[in-house]
Amino acid sequence: MIAEGKIYFKYLRMHLLSGMEYKGWWLMLIQVLIVVVSDPIATILLFSRFGNIGEWTVAHIILVYSLAVASFGLAESLCRGFDYFPWHLLRSGDFDRLLLRPRSLFVQVAASRFHLHRLVRPVTGICAAGWALGELGVPLTPGRLGILVMALAGGCLMYCGVFVLTSGLAFFTIKGLDWIYLLTNASYQITRCPEPYMPRALKSVFSFVLPMLFISFYPAATVCGWEYPQWLGFLSLPAGAVFLGLSLLVWRIGVRHYKSTGS
Amino acid sequence: MNFRNTCRACSSLFRIRMAEGLQYRVSAISGTVVGVFWALLECVLFTVFYTYSENGSWNNNGLSLPQTISYVWLAQGLFVLQSMSIDSEIMGKINNGDVGIELCRPMNLYTHWFVKSSAGKLGTSWIRSLATVITGLLMPAGYALGKPPSLTALFCFLLSVVMAFLLCSAFAMLVTAIRLNISWGDGPTYMLLLVSGILSGTYLPLRLWPDFMQTFLYLQPFGGFADIPVQLYIGSMAPAAALPGIGLQLIWSLLFIAAGRLIMKRKLNSIIVQGG
Repeated sequence: MIAEGKIYFKYLRMHLLSGMEYKGWWLMLIQVLIVVVSDPIATILLFSRFGNIGEWTVAHIILVYSLAVASFGLAESLCRGFDYFPWHLLRSGDFDRLLLRPRSLFVQVAASRFHLHRLVRPVTGICAAGWALGELGVPLTPGRLGILVMALAGGCLMYCGVFVLTSGLAFFTIKGLDWIYLLTNASYQITRCPEPYMPRALKSVFSFVLPMLFISFYPAATVCGWEYPQWLGFLSLPAGAVFLGLSLLVWRIGVRHYKSTGS
Repeated sequence: MNFRNTCRACSSLFRIRMAEGLQYRVSAISGTVVGVFWALLECVLFTVFYTYSENGSWNNNGLSLPQTISYVWLAQGLFVLQSMSIDSEIMGKINNGDVGIELCRPMNLYTHWFVKSSAGKLGTSWIRSLATVITGLLMPAGYALGKPPSLTALFCFLLSVVMAFLLCSAFAMLVTAIRLNISWGDGPTYMLLLVSGILSGTYLPLRLWPDFMQTFLYLQPFGGFADIPVQLYIGSMAPAAALPGIGLQLIWSLLFIAAGRLIMKRKLNSIIVQGG
């Protein structure tokens, strides 16, 4: 276990150094910053145009949204390899080489890519959540901080699960995985819609298929004391873990089913 | 090489890439699924804002809820014209040094790549955008794509879409020319593509941006990617305004092509072929 951890961080360090060989590597940081800042811009402009929705203000939306985005960013930084797996390892046939090595497959794939600039997303996300809490007048007690950290950890697990699931399914489909975009970059857009006004179908898909609301909305509701059952806020970690577990199952079946592709 | 041969080479390049693109029908289908889901999400969001918010009845820019929903569907349909990244084949050539081989061909590199990348873009995307738009038309009322106010509006829309295709291709080539300077990595090109995406109106209809920015939003080049055609269709821009709008698209296309050619020429004079 410790050896695997060491290898993981060695990989990350290697990718970091190779990435910094490019003259414009810091431009990538700015680039992600622009992505991150521009994402919620549509929502903010809409609020400035239309005013509040009932008691929902910009701060409410930003809090829920930033929790989702930050956990997505964390998973993206730590598990980036799985995101690239279908395209860069599976189709090229490079995956065969990994199978030969006497190390954990999971670690090798997870650390096969790392981009420093992806960390911009969780960092800005956490800052935005802090701003929103300040705006809503919710002081940060240790208990609340605990819930928020748990939400981030659960969200990170869930999104790692999404990436692993993508890779697991890629063993069967090889190409045509655009729809997976719905589970990754598109999924957190759902939090831009105020939960009470969300259509029921959307709500159930994003709590029971992909536990999106459990990692963003319910923790936020518990922390700020909106009128929802308190215990829902504590479910983020278990929900994320269950999702990751199921994805690992698919991945395991995929590896077993794997026949080499590429040359 | 004379003009006629160039034209023939272009048309065969175009056909090859089209046929190539058509092979991956599954990916077109899955692309449509993403587009439809995204559009539905936006429809829900706009409905919530128009129905429940404080200034929900806001209408002084003439964009009603049905118009906004039509906007969303059409923008999703036109979204495929915009490139999210440089054409992967060309990108591969830049990265592994095949640019050297490309330079040996008796054809202007800019023209060659222009045709190649625009054909690649058209290969599958028209199926995807047609499927998205048809899905939009079939949606239940409230979430459906509306009809254009008049035949003239429809005609202006189609004309403007063709111009949008040219404009998007020209811009993609400008970005490719910038990317030829390989040692800078992907940062600058992504940023350009991202900014163009935001200002094209596919994130949020440009009419819903703050009022003081409207003139700028109209004159900047990226509105021509989606905003101008779509506004012509939904009628928030009268057919009388079509000619200036399409003219604007044309002017920007020509500017992008000129800039792209210039940058490419200067880069190729001092190119260092990477890889072996």
